[in-house]
Amino acid sequence: MINELLKEGALILILASGVRLATPYLFAALGEMIGQRSGVLNLGVDGTMMLSAFTAFYVTFASGSLALGVLVGVLTGGLMGLIMAVVSVTMRAEQGISGIGLHLFGLGMSNLLFRLSLGAISTVEGFRPLSVPILSDLPVIGAVFFRHNVLVYLAFVLVPVAWVVLFRTPLGLKIRAVGENPQAADTLGVSVTGIRYLCVIIGGMMSGLAGTYLSIGLNNMYVDNITNGMGWIAVALVYFGRWHPWGVLAGSLLFSVVNALQIWVQVRGIAIPYEFAVMMPYVLTIVALAFAVRRAQQPAALSKPYERAEA
Amino acid sequence: MQKYAMFMFSVLLVAALLVACAPPTPVAPEKVRVALILPSTIDDLAWSQSMYEGVKAVQAELGEDRMEVTVTENLWNPVDAAAAIRDFAEQGYHLIIAHGAQYQNSLFEIAPDFPDTSFAYGTSFKTGDNIFAYDPQAQEGGYLLGIIAGMMTKTNKIGVVGPVEAGDAVKYNYGFVQGVASVNPDAEVSVTYTGSFGDTAGAGEMAKTHMDNGADFLTGTAQQAVGAIQAAKERGVPWLGSDMDQSVVWPDTVMAAQVYNWKEVVRRMVDARVEGKKGGEHLSLSFANGRLSLHFNDRFNIPADVKAKVETTLQAIKDGSLVVPLPSE
Repeated sequence: MINELLKEGALILILASGVRLATPYLFAALGEMIGQRSGVLNLGVDGTMMLSAFTAFYVTFASGSLALGVLVGVLTGGLMGLIMAVVSVTMRAEQGISGIGLHLFGLGMSNLLFRLSLGAISTVEGFRPLSVPILSDLPVIGAVFFRHNVLVYLAFVLVPVAWVVLFRTPLGLKIRAVGENPQAADTLGVSVTGIRYLCVIIGGMMSGLAGTYLSIGLNNMYVDNITNGMGWIAVALVYFGRWHPWGVLAGSLLFSVVNALQIWVQVRGIAIPYEFAVMMPYVLTIVALAFAVRRAQQPAALSKPYERAEA
Repeated sequence: MQKYAMFMFSVLLVAALLVACAPPTPVAPEKVRVALILPSTIDDLAWSQSMYEGVKAVQAELGEDRMEVTVTENLWNPVDAAAAIRDFAEQGYHLIIAHGAQYQNSLFEIAPDFPDTSFAYGTSFKTGDNIFAYDPQAQEGGYLLGIIAGMMTKTNKIGVVGPVEAGDAVKYNYGFVQGVASVNPDAEVSVTYTGSFGDTAGAGEMAKTHMDNGADFLTGTAQQAVGAIQAAKERGVPWLGSDMDQSVVWPDTVMAAQVYNWKEVVRRMVDARVEGKKGGEHLSLSFANGRLSLHFNDRFNIPADVKAKVETTLQAIKDGSLVVPLPSE
């Protein structure tokens, strides 16, 4: 097995497949991370992904425009984020429960709209791979990273963007302050409500991108329950990544590359029980999580609604 | 006088008892109320949709005034399904079809509490007094489709994108591998599983990996398969389908398919109730009894010798001279 794996061709295929598979996790987990950094735990990721996957697919199907599909998918995610923000920030509902409610809403709504509008599985011409000039000709790296569609590039570009915004801008400082100590931030004139709305809506938009990628960038079709639980893995990857963009990237890639590896192992007919193969990405992620969490520093105000003390 | 009265009374009593025990005269057929519990949805292009269409076809045949159908979707989880099964039984449904092998334990627990209700499930052969078990002989269609792939492959590599190693998926795959081997011992069939019935993205990625590995024919089962079919379409690799003929959606990709004709199975269960049988029958779906059929897609030019081989094998399966073996357990 090791010899086969070390052949350059096999390794490239596995890594390229891992990059494709990592994309939805990356979008969703980065978005969730931003929301959690501001102190809001949004468990509606999976439902948001499903609803956006549907709306993006439907608009693309009806209009033939992928750009319009992405726009609508992102807006749908933003709207789901807004609902979460109203319920959890303004109305101060328990975040875990309201997030699950949001998930169930997305799950039911996407199924319902699909049934009412399309009623049967159909397909679209989704995003095609777009080779990046020069970079795609690099040995190994070119084939692994630079021969994907534009949404894959966007997901990976958003990692450094999220890092810069969170750790190198005044806005990022405000976000982190609101997530760590909202009282102090409020005292300094930072709008806790405003920052949390912004972060939860951006998080929703990124979940929306994750769903959009599934329906018009990877599967090129919409089916019921298209995420198959990916949104929940994305939430776990935020913890895995210790609320840090690079950590989220590492977690998404680890999970997805191991997933691609187990698929390859099965396809090559290497004698491992398939149950074990399918389990591999989850087991490895849990093991890594067990070690990572020891040093974890979750935002101190995470999942705590902020109530300004009245004088 | 008193003795005479006693005698008459006895005669009347015996007569009354005899009448009570006599077989009931046929009454106007009841409106049969059918509840269908599906693990996935009525439009999954696979297991659930094929059964849904079968039930609806029986309803169309009998007329809506004689058959009522209620469908509950997405009850993959047997615990949730058990609640729904009991609920339907309490509401007085006559036939409750829980469409999956995973509902077996729930049915055997609930069925004794509702002796007048019929229950049905599959893939299985284990029946109860008021439980029907249905059982697609998916290995037969798998074998026939395997012949097509085995004779037509150029790379001698064929990929199977399976859901979970259970039920009719195992039977299908087992038959498929034997079908390929019967005509092309050099061909390599790689049987893989996504580990889930609904992981369309995973199935798509698995299909891509098969194609990267050189496979020029793909097949697979369950509702996740649509992800793999779409991936096959994007690279122009032909697909061999099961459960339903997916060429409706992928006319240039699905070359041939094994189709489950649930209508006949559902009809048999409804008729059995009219005969007074509430369960206990093992309903097999095979090519011999017409409950399985093979569809070719006319858009593909399948060579005459391949078609002829499939045809003679099909006849052999029908007349029983060829029995596709199953894994021994």
